[in-house]
Amino acid sequence: MAEPIRVVVTGAAGQIAYSLLYSIAKGDVFGKDQPIILILLDIPPMLPVLDGVVMELQDCALPLLREVIPTDKVEVGFKDIDAAILVGSMPRKEGMERKDLLKANVAIFKTQGTALDKYAKKTVKVLVVGNPANTNCLIASKSAPSIPKENFSCLTRLDHNRASSQVAMRCGVSSDKVKNVIIWGNHSSTQYPDVHHAKVNVHGSEMAAYDAVKDESWLRGDFISTVQQRGAAVIKARKLSSAMSAAKAICDHMRDIWFGTKEGEFISMGVNATGNTYGIPEDLIYSFPVEIKNKTWKMVDGLSINDFSRAKMDATAAELVEERDTALAFLSQ
Amino acid sequence: MKEKQDGNENGNKETQTQKGERKKERKKKERKKKERKKERKKEKTERKKERLCRVKNGRKGGKSEPIRVLVTGAAGQIAYSLLFSIAKGDVFGKDQRSSPLTRRTWPSTTWTVAILVGSMPRKEGMERKDLLKANVAIFKSQGAALEKYAKKTVKVLVVGNPANTNCLIAAKSAPSIPKENFSCLTRLDHNRARSQVAMRCGVPATHVKNVIIWGNHSSTQYPDVHHCLVNMSGSELACFEAVKDDAWLNGEFIATVQQRGAAVIKARKLSSAMSAAKAICDHMRDIWMGTAEGEFISMGVYSSGNAYGVPEDLIYSFPVQIKDKSWKIVEGLTINPFSKSKMEATAEELIDERDTAVSFLGV
Repeated sequence: MAEPIRVVVTGAAGQIAYSLLYSIAKGDVFGKDQPIILILLDIPPMLPVLDGVVMELQDCALPLLREVIPTDKVEVGFKDIDAAILVGSMPRKEGMERKDLLKANVAIFKTQGTALDKYAKKTVKVLVVGNPANTNCLIASKSAPSIPKENFSCLTRLDHNRASSQVAMRCGVSSDKVKNVIIWGNHSSTQYPDVHHAKVNVHGSEMAAYDAVKDESWLRGDFISTVQQRGAAVIKARKLSSAMSAAKAICDHMRDIWFGTKEGEFISMGVNATGNTYGIPEDLIYSFPVEIKNKTWKMVDGLSINDFSRAKMDATAAELVEERDTALAFLSQ
Repeated sequence: MKEKQDGNENGNKETQTQKGERKKERKKKERKKKERKKERKKEKTERKKERLCRVKNGRKGGKSEPIRVLVTGAAGQIAYSLLFSIAKGDVFGKDQRSSPLTRRTWPSTTWTVAILVGSMPRKEGMERKDLLKANVAIFKSQGAALEKYAKKTVKVLVVGNPANTNCLIAAKSAPSIPKENFSCLTRLDHNRARSQVAMRCGVPATHVKNVIIWGNHSSTQYPDVHHCLVNMSGSELACFEAVKDDAWLNGEFIATVQQRGAAVIKARKLSSAMSAAKAICDHMRDIWMGTAEGEFISMGVYSSGNAYGVPEDLIYSFPVQIKDKSWKIVEGLTINPFSKSKMEATAEELIDERDTAVSFLGV
């Protein structure tokens, strides 16, 4: 069997991690032949809960899990790691302004970026989940200058999966029959779910999504707002946020990084916008359609963008520029 | 004024008896109508409580029979961890596809698998007797529903506590379903016991096999490693040899496994959903795919006919092997006096629970 890889999950005592850790330890992400050393990082008040999670992972009797290390120290959390999934972040509390949220999270992700820079392997792949994901990812990346910017990404796979699923249900097919949806921009309500290049397999023949759905007003209207607001809808129903589906999306994202995407298929990831051919401002973490090979992503170039899409892509870019500038102001303090 | 004629539909004059018969017939119809209405209302409430997870049995080329998996307590913590695993194919096999969860047609479907997670939890100030009474009501009605709607080949796994007694009540309330089709979950305790031995020996948990959980899924359970084998650096050792600490195996090890559930609740402030869901998957998968040669696992099953002197008519956890979706208690294992007394203690608790529960059943 292979040498174990070291994977850290932050916010490890929380809801998303609870669904996620099990999948990782089972081999769903890094493969059935890859042993894992799982490092669980959270804040000091959560250490007792973390002990409970460790007990449960032991009780699962999983063959791939070599070791589980609970900790509240970044020097332990990020030491020699191959993969980092940064789920933990400061949640928005009642009365909190967007600016306050950004300020709190800048502090967290600056610390984590610095620790990554100091302790992690330079080949580490970092996935930022904690919101505001795009901006947190950018801050972490900027705080880890010796780690290539391409190694940092943020999660928009949940929105991507939601978009695929909405189209699939509309067409009456299973969601594996829908591919190449795109999520552009910020993992927020300004995200743009774009199906102009999506394909649906209906009864064996592959069609453009617009042809399969035959409802342009839905695709440009309700479909977009449903995907944009799905997170809130789940919170409203469950009274808790979408841990299960988020964990699934994290697994999909990480697994595609590790094993690559299929021929002719692309997925959505928040990556560094520098060098993009779609006119998106540089120095942002922006969600693009990407293909992955040898653990390296590459934006899908040359997709035609009509005026409708252009406006939406620009709107979400504008929000990200503002978030970035606010965050950087805090960073320099 | 026209005289009102006494007559039936044919216009012929009716006798008193015929009139009486018609009245009887009418009353019977009204009664049946009322009953059907009540039945439909009941079914509606039941449907609200349960959620259907349909797992398609996808064989290449041919038409596939869907297996219908019922999970109760589907809105709860354990189900949240469990449903995803089932839908992914971890339990019934990777070549089976899963459809989205639907809330549908309860009477016209027949259940192939039922995982009864939902039960009445113990609340503050609740006596054990109250807990039993509440759960008898639940599992009586679930057993009756299984009797009515499930295939006779249905496999039922009871998880909701007190699991053993709830399982027995459900089985008794579904008399036309073979008692062998009912089991309760002690696989979590089994996995915990394996994991404790594994950590002690410094090996992965999968190198430890044939631990046994005897008895009740409660603090009287008896984790027994007298027949357990540990794979240490390629060679298989008896557990007692591998661990080399009889005092621990006969003392702290047992207490740790018995109280693990409480320890997790204390730490997490929530019960062990993740590991419970994993154990449910292991239990169901072993029923579906069978156990490996030379390996046995622990399941709460119907004790009648057992060769270990455990009282009849209980759901008691035994070591079993499984083939063709049928379990068989592993026989001929030597039981020393230490084990015997522990096995008897947990049996006693189960008898007490059963008698209390059955008395509520009769009410």
